[in-house]
Amino acid sequence: MAGVLKKTTGLVGLAVSHNPHERLRILYSKILASLQIIPQDAAYRKYTEQLVHDRFDLIKAEPDVEKLEKKINCGQIEEVIHQAECELALSRKMAEWKPWEPLIEEPPVNQWKWPV
Amino acid sequence: RRFGTPNFVTTALGSATIIVLPHPLNKKINVTYLCVATVRPKDAVTHNQLAAFGEYVAEMLPKYVQQVQVTCYNELEVMIHPDGVIPVLTFLRDHSNAQFRNMIDLTAVDIPTRQNRFEIVYNLLSLRYNSRIRLKTYTDELTPVDSSVSVHNAANWYEREVWDMYGVFFANHPDLRRILTDYGFEGHPFRKDFPLSGFVEVRYDDEVKRVVAEPVELSQEFRKFDLNSPWEVFPAHREAKAPELPAGDKPADK
Repeated sequence: MAGVLKKTTGLVGLAVSHNPHERLRILYSKILASLQIIPQDAAYRKYTEQLVHDRFDLIKAEPDVEKLEKKINCGQIEEVIHQAECELALSRKMAEWKPWEPLIEEPPVNQWKWPV
Repeated sequence: RRFGTPNFVTTALGSATIIVLPHPLNKKINVTYLCVATVRPKDAVTHNQLAAFGEYVAEMLPKYVQQVQVTCYNELEVMIHPDGVIPVLTFLRDHSNAQFRNMIDLTAVDIPTRQNRFEIVYNLLSLRYNSRIRLKTYTDELTPVDSSVSVHNAANWYEREVWDMYGVFFANHPDLRRILTDYGFEGHPFRKDFPLSGFVEVRYDDEVKRVVAEPVELSQEFRKFDLNSPWEVFPAHREAKAPELPAGDKPADK
């Protein structure tokens, strides 16, 4: 690991990560694995795969943590790890809910009409 | 006061932008006032960004999203089916491109003329992307809505308030009970059919030595003012209704 490990993230409850590259690699591979269950043409799978692949490439290319944070441009690396964890949980729930199916039910006539 | 920069002033005649100009000849500060009507400038960039994000959300969740709109004040509103409350809120909270982790408000709107009279409104904020979004669902008096407490803890008291004030039941809420009304209060005060003065009034009764609730007695009967103006109010929302002309008499066939 090049560089000094930072002492604190400055955010309450978010501990400094010792090996963020490793952690992110694991998380992104898990996300991609859980996206395989979703049909290929679903918009969620398309856009999330694109997003995860972009971040994955950035991680593989950049070994330095600070420069990586700047390249990803989404806050500190610990926050990026938290985002990846949320995305993983979301992808598993999306496989259950199947939101790519067509609309359940059309709204009643004039439901969204404003002014009434 | 800096010269040349507009001052926003609200006068008795309404708000106006007053631009202060320096008098060119005198060295003494002598000002001329120029009144210009205050009109909010259109921000097409923000409008387009919000519209693009709205389309993105609608593309990701076509099962639940019924309508998406961006208001003239650049506020994104997503209308969903009531079954999709938890999926859409979880998506907006967890997805990396959304990250609406803060729930700002949870309210209801009562529009009695509709089939589903209550419109539940969720306001969310994304600190990461500095952006707000409004989520709307609908329900009637008897259909329960899924509680969003599992997604945002902030929804707890807001849902209690909506239950108390409107009577919308939230399924799987950890503790759904009254929050603002009195302990034995009957009725849901924010509904449009609930009168302004209520049905009961309370007073201390010396005989029974406690506060008693009695039907309300107004000293002056309720006056309803018809505040409709004779002029057309929403020119942009005109509905051209062609009058139905009765069919004329058919010529006798010879």
